[in-house]
Amino acid sequence: MNIKKYLATAIMAAKSQTNAGIFYLLPNYLLKVVYLLPLIFLWRTLMNSGVETGMTLQQMLTYTYMSTLLAGLLVIRTPLGNWIYEGLIIGLYQRPLSIYGNIIAQTLGVNAVTLLFFSLPMALASPLFGISIIPATWWFLLSLLLCISLGIAIDFIYACLLIRLINGSYLVYQIRYAIFLLFSGSVIPFAALPWGIGRILIYQPFGSLGGAPLGIYTDLSNPFQTILIQVGWNIIIWFLAVIYLKKSQERLVSHGG
Amino acid sequence: MEVKKNLLLQVLRLYGFYAKLDLMWLLRDAKYAILAIITDTISSLAAVSSVFLLAMRFNGVGGMNQFEVLFMLGYVTSVSGFFDLFCSMNNGHISRRIGRGQLEHSFIQPLPISIQLLCEGFIPFTGSSPLICGIAIMAVSLGRLGIIVTWWWVLSLIVSLLLSLFILLCLSYLISSTAFYAPVACEEISTLVINDLGSLMNYPLFGMPKAIVWPLITVLPYGLLGWFPSMALLGRPPLSLPYIYPAVVALVLFVITYYVFKKGFNYYVKRGANRYKDLGFRK
Repeated sequence: MNIKKYLATAIMAAKSQTNAGIFYLLPNYLLKVVYLLPLIFLWRTLMNSGVETGMTLQQMLTYTYMSTLLAGLLVIRTPLGNWIYEGLIIGLYQRPLSIYGNIIAQTLGVNAVTLLFFSLPMALASPLFGISIIPATWWFLLSLLLCISLGIAIDFIYACLLIRLINGSYLVYQIRYAIFLLFSGSVIPFAALPWGIGRILIYQPFGSLGGAPLGIYTDLSNPFQTILIQVGWNIIIWFLAVIYLKKSQERLVSHGG
Repeated sequence: MEVKKNLLLQVLRLYGFYAKLDLMWLLRDAKYAILAIITDTISSLAAVSSVFLLAMRFNGVGGMNQFEVLFMLGYVTSVSGFFDLFCSMNNGHISRRIGRGQLEHSFIQPLPISIQLLCEGFIPFTGSSPLICGIAIMAVSLGRLGIIVTWWWVLSLIVSLLLSLFILLCLSYLISSTAFYAPVACEEISTLVINDLGSLMNYPLFGMPKAIVWPLITVLPYGLLGWFPSMALLGRPPLSLPYIYPAVVALVLFVITYYVFKKGFNYYVKRGANRYKDLGFRK
């Protein structure tokens, strides 16, 4: 496989984010920080209330901080949905790249910009927030890779739903938002949920997204068990995604624009 | 007086027109419309359920008990519900229209842009489910809190909800003004303001340091979209501030937004948006 063309695609996607200049990305990043600050203090208030959660305050803060820094990767979103909605999808079939490789390269290229200009400076600034971002174990890197891979597979399935619903991008977006918010564990750690819900949620496919690497990162979950579950869901969801896309692309309708 | 009366009639006629369009869509594509209503309901409940689950786990949040938190979440859902009801055509997410170069579409309509933005996006039949959800959540919590609901309390609630919606729109228009100058980078900035930062509405600010609370009820007043008004409605206005405080902030924010947006708009009128294509689509 010629990796160069995929690398060039990723670089092109990254550059497209900064066409108007890096300065214009700042408002988005600034607003992310504005969102993060009250959350940090909310957790401080809650965790000091004396209720036993099985988490320390430091674990909770690291979890929240890292979920903001890695938000784009924990619940990854490919450009496929937008391309179908905007009618750009046909162009994808005219390029001398595989559909999967092209989408993955574009997705990683776009996310690289945020990692470079937001996540990296924020990681360096973490002592200013009084938060330690040293991972409990480096197994989280493998878990993060599996999380990204699974996220892309799930996104392919959402794209197939979009193709089936023709104009249903809003529906798919809303359902996707609701599912990720509740079941991915990237906003609220599973351990902080009442009635032991979190212990069940780790076994469903969305639990292998954000919640899995963050759980390993903060020493909330067993790395080997978590990675095993992630591998299992990756195999199942990728299998379904490939089959579903193969069937759905025959139904693809593009009106353009 | 006559002009004002005509204006009001025109606005009402337009609301009627958009309601009719919405009903036509519902009847023409009932399956899709019903799916949209269901998904709206699910996402509304999902948005508030995580904070409620936290409130259950921690026996309340920051000095509010579980049902006060539930009332606040019902209030927030209702604000979002009003937004969905009146702002479904990107007249709330205005940076999308600016960034895509679609404001030109409004220039050729025989109506002032302000009237168009006020009336477009009214979808009473397919867009009211989040508002109904919000009202139901508030009703449940009020029952558990034992609050006696009088007609003037209901009136206060409606005024309060409309004021919160107004503040949210002012914030969106203010920050979206950046899209006049950087259409590509800021096309989706209103999504960040309304949807992403809007999550801040869900959190009670009791117990947080004043350095966090004050900015959230002045500069970025997300605290006035849920926490402050719901506590005021429950008879405990935070920080000993008067009940009318959100109205004062709304007025100041409106003046600033008006000035900044108008400045950006004048820039746009002179420079245009290079993303506009002859088919009306963006690149």
